[in-house]
Amino acid sequence: MTESLLYFTQQVINGLTVGSTYALIAIGYTMVYGIIGMINFAHGEVYMIGTYLSFIVIAGLTMLGLENLPFILLTALIVSMMVAGAYGFTIERVAYRPVRGSKRLIALISAIGMSIFLQNYMRLAQGPRDIAMPGQIQGGWSWTLDGNLLNLSYMQVIIFVVTVISMWSLHLFISRSRMGRACRACAQDQGMTNLLGIDTNQIIAVTFVIGAALAAVAGFLLGLYYGVVNPMIGFIAGLKAFTAAVLGGIGSLPGAMLGGLILGVTESMTAAYFSTEYKDVVAFSLLVLILLFKPTGILGKPEVEKI
Amino acid sequence: MKTLLKKTLLGTSIALASLGMQVQAADTIKIAMAGPVSGPVAQYGDMQFIGAQMAIEQINAQGGVNGKQLEGVIYDDACEPKQAVQVANKIVNDGIKFVVGHLCSSSTQPASDIYEDEGILMITAASTSPDITNRGYELIFRTIGLDDRQGPVAGRYIVEQIKPKRVAVIHDKQQYGEGIARAVKATVEEAGISVVMFEGVTAGDKDFSALIAKMQKEDVDFVYYGGYHPELGSILRQSKELGFNAGFMGPEGVGNPDISAIAGEASEGLLVTLPPSFDLDPKNAQLVEAFKAKGQDPSGPFVMPAYTAVELMVQGMKGTEGTDPLDVADYLRNQGPFETPIGTVEYDAKGDLKEFNFVVYTWHADGTKTPAATQEAAN
Repeated sequence: MTESLLYFTQQVINGLTVGSTYALIAIGYTMVYGIIGMINFAHGEVYMIGTYLSFIVIAGLTMLGLENLPFILLTALIVSMMVAGAYGFTIERVAYRPVRGSKRLIALISAIGMSIFLQNYMRLAQGPRDIAMPGQIQGGWSWTLDGNLLNLSYMQVIIFVVTVISMWSLHLFISRSRMGRACRACAQDQGMTNLLGIDTNQIIAVTFVIGAALAAVAGFLLGLYYGVVNPMIGFIAGLKAFTAAVLGGIGSLPGAMLGGLILGVTESMTAAYFSTEYKDVVAFSLLVLILLFKPTGILGKPEVEKI
Repeated sequence: MKTLLKKTLLGTSIALASLGMQVQAADTIKIAMAGPVSGPVAQYGDMQFIGAQMAIEQINAQGGVNGKQLEGVIYDDACEPKQAVQVANKIVNDGIKFVVGHLCSSSTQPASDIYEDEGILMITAASTSPDITNRGYELIFRTIGLDDRQGPVAGRYIVEQIKPKRVAVIHDKQQYGEGIARAVKATVEEAGISVVMFEGVTAGDKDFSALIAKMQKEDVDFVYYGGYHPELGSILRQSKELGFNAGFMGPEGVGNPDISAIAGEASEGLLVTLPPSFDLDPKNAQLVEAFKAKGQDPSGPFVMPAYTAVELMVQGMKGTEGTDPLDVADYLRNQGPFETPIGTVEYDAKGDLKEFNFVVYTWHADGTKTPAATQEAAN
C-alpha cells in the first residue's frame, strides 16, 4: 500500500513540476490572446532565447570569478527577463503591429515566420548543438518509507513556488493596477479604450513585454533544471504551453495555470501507469475531449459576439 | 550607350564565368557528402565530413583518379528523413554519381531508394540499420557494422559481464534506436534475464522524471538505451539527481564527448558499444598524424569509416578505369578484399561488410573512453 501510494505521490510531484513550467510559458499565450485575440507563435522562441541568455550570464559571471550563487542567479534572471522583454517589444513592433488591422490569418502567418526566423537566428548565433551547463542548485529532500524512496528536489520546489508567485503577482497587476485596468479595457473594446484617452499601442506593447519576461523566467528555471539548451527547444515547449492555454481556456490566467498542471500530471500519470510512449497521445486526446464538451476550455468564458 | 556597354560587359562576364565552371566540372569527379551539418546530431556529421574530406585531399595530392581530381560537396540533411529526400533529389539534379552518407539510418533509408533508382553509388559510414541493405539494392554499401551485430555484442556483454537481475530497455522510437534496442532485448531475454520494461521516449523530450521514477519502482538495476546522446544525457543527469543508481549502456549513437557535457559526472561509467578505435591501429599512424596536423580529431567512430568509403570508391574507379557507378559497385562486390584504414574489407551480396566487430567501452566524465573490462568477451 505505502509503496503504490509513494509512487503515486512521486509521479504527482513530477507532473506538477512539468505542469508548472507549461503554465509559465502558457501565460504569455493567454495574455496576448486575451488582449488582441491573436496567437503569438513566436512565444516558444522567446522562452528558448531566455534560456540561452541565462546560460550566457551565468557562464559569464562565473568566468569573472564571482562565487556568490544567489547573486549570479538573480542577475541572470533579471538580465534574461530584461533582454527577453526587449525581444518581446521588438517582435510586436516588427511582426505584429504593421499587420494588426488586417485579417487574423495574416498576423498568424507573420507569427510563424517570426518563430522560424528566431530559431534559425539562434542556430547561427549559438550553433546548432546542445549546450549544457552543470547543475547550479542540486540536492533536495528525500524520505524513505519501508525501503521506498520519495524525492523532492530543491529545483522542483523552486519551480513550483516561482510559478505560483509569478501567476499571483500578474493577477494582482491585472486586477488592481491602473495599467492592468487599461489592459482589461483594451481586451473588451480597443476602439472605445482609445477614445477614452488610453494609448492602446502602448498597452499592447506592455502585454508583449510582460509575456516575454515571463517566458524568460520559464527559460531560466528550466535551463537550471534540465541543464541543456538547443535552438529547437522552443518549438516543443511552445506547443505544449499552447495546449495548456487552450485546455485551461485561452484568455484566462487561472486557466493557463490549471491547464498546465492538468497537462503535466496527465503526462506523468500516463508514463507512470501506462507507457512513456503514449504520454503525448493521452495528453492530446484529453485536449480533444475537453474541447468537444467545452469548446472554450475549462475556465474560458464563452465569447460574446460584438456587434 | 553607357548602359549598352554595361550590359555587354555583364553578358561577357557571365559567359566567361559559366565557361569557367564548365571547365572546372569536366576536370573533377564530384563526391557528395550527405549528413547532418545542423541539428542535434551534427557532431557525428562532422566526423563523417572530416574523414571523407581527408581522403579526398590525400587522393588529390597523389594525382587524383584516372587523371581527374576529386571534389567533395557537403549536403545537410539535419538527420531528418524529409530533408534527406530533398538532399537526395538535389544530388540527382546536380549530376553527382557518388555519395558518402547519410548518417542517421532513418535518413539513409529513404535517400537510398532515390540513389538506387537514379544509378548513384552510396556508401554510408554510419548507418547501422539492417533494413538498409535488406532490399536487394545494387548500389548501396556501408563501411560500418549492423545493429543486429551491435545489439548482440551489447546484449552478450550485459549477460556475461554485468549479470543484472532486472533490465529496462529504453529507446527513442526511431529506426536506429528501436532496432538496436530490440536486438539487445532479444539477446538478454534469451539468457533468461528478465526485461521488466521496454518503452519508448520521444526524441527532443527534456523531462524523464516520470520514467526514472517508474524504473526505481520496478527495481531496475541495469538500463540499456537505444538512441542518441541528447536524450540519454538528460536521463543520466536526472537519474543522478533523483538517486537512481542503475548501470547504463548505449550504442555508438551516444558515444561522443557531448554526452559528458550534458550529463557531467553522471556519464562516468556509462558503457558504450563502438566500432574499434581505428586511430589506435599502428597501421594508421601516418593518417592519424595528418588529421592532427589539421587540428582534427581522428578518434570519432565514423571518421575512418568515412575515409574508407571514399577510398573504396576510388579503388573501384581505378579498378574499372571509369566512373560508372554500376561498374564500381560490381567491382566492390566481387574484387575484394581491399586494404583500408578500417582493416581488410570484403563485401557480401547485400553490400554489408563480411566482418565488422563492435567493442564495448567505458565512458568517462571528461569525455574520454577506455576499453571496458574483459574485452575478449565482447568480441
